[in-house]
Amino acid sequence: MSDNDQHIIADLKDENKRNLAFHMLVKTYQERLYWHIRKMVLNHDDADDVLQNTFMKVWRNIDTFREESSLFTWLYRIATNESITFLNSKKKKNLLPLNDESEYLLENLMSDPYFEGDRIQMKLQEAIVRLPEKQRLVFNMKYFDEMKYDDMAEILNTSVGALKASYHHAVKKVEDYLKNNE
Amino acid sequence: MDELKNNAPKLSEITKENPFGTPNHYFDDFSARLQVRMEAEAAPSVPRRSGIIHLLKPALGLAASFALIMMLVYVPLRIFTPDKINQVAEVTDTTDTNFLNIIEKIDEATFVALLNDSESENDLTDDDLALYVSANFSDYELFENLTSN
Repeated sequence: MSDNDQHIIADLKDENKRNLAFHMLVKTYQERLYWHIRKMVLNHDDADDVLQNTFMKVWRNIDTFREESSLFTWLYRIATNESITFLNSKKKKNLLPLNDESEYLLENLMSDPYFEGDRIQMKLQEAIVRLPEKQRLVFNMKYFDEMKYDDMAEILNTSVGALKASYHHAVKKVEDYLKNNE
Repeated sequence: MDELKNNAPKLSEITKENPFGTPNHYFDDFSARLQVRMEAEAAPSVPRRSGIIHLLKPALGLAASFALIMMLVYVPLRIFTPDKINQVAEVTDTTDTNFLNIIEKIDEATFVALLNDSESENDLTDDDLALYVSANFSDYELFENLTSN
């Protein structure tokens, strides 16, 4: 754990310094968490909602943080869970099958005014959207964020072997989609 | 990277870049917006109205429901039931009650005397009958009845 994280955690436990420490935590992690969430929900407005929900949850559960994992891992885990909860609620609201959110995500992607990618980037996102939820998560964390499998295993509470298999399957499916939709 | 090139040549051709953007100054403002939301959630919620109205509200609701049901049943019955039936029933009831009251108040001798009087009144004489017929029927009507019989 970095010195900065240890300093933040120590101040979060101090009643008098808690507000300032939380402000520091938000400033330190808001961008990294935002991009992690954004790759899951795709739309900026949704990502903003989920990021706020994530930090609200962190604020409410700050006393439950036991330092068994790093602050970074704990925050990523909350952000991941909040993203999945958000997508599930959208699926329920739009009466979509629980294992298929691709339709909603594609609409989200098309309607997002803050998507700045070119045609090939859009095609890549279309391929990623069609992956099962777990594979999509793993693909984004490994391909874009270049996260270590060990860190991913801690965040997603899965074995490294399972993550490697998920990533392998995800890459194969993305490649097939790109080949078949040239 | 080589592994990706071998396993997924199409994917490896794509430049790895973030295709998403955000509104200007989004991250500069985020902390302030989050603070506003936290304060809003921390603020005590508006207390519910208490007092006599709050306590009586269920009872008043129940009473209003009963009144409404009564109106829905009673008013159409009043409107659609013929008036005469009601009036006759009322009149009959009143007349019978009055009659019984009068009978209860008079003694037995007077009652028998009244009974005899009423019977004597029914014994019509020929003169009474002739008077009644001449007063209520014309000669033509009388002639017509006689010829038809």
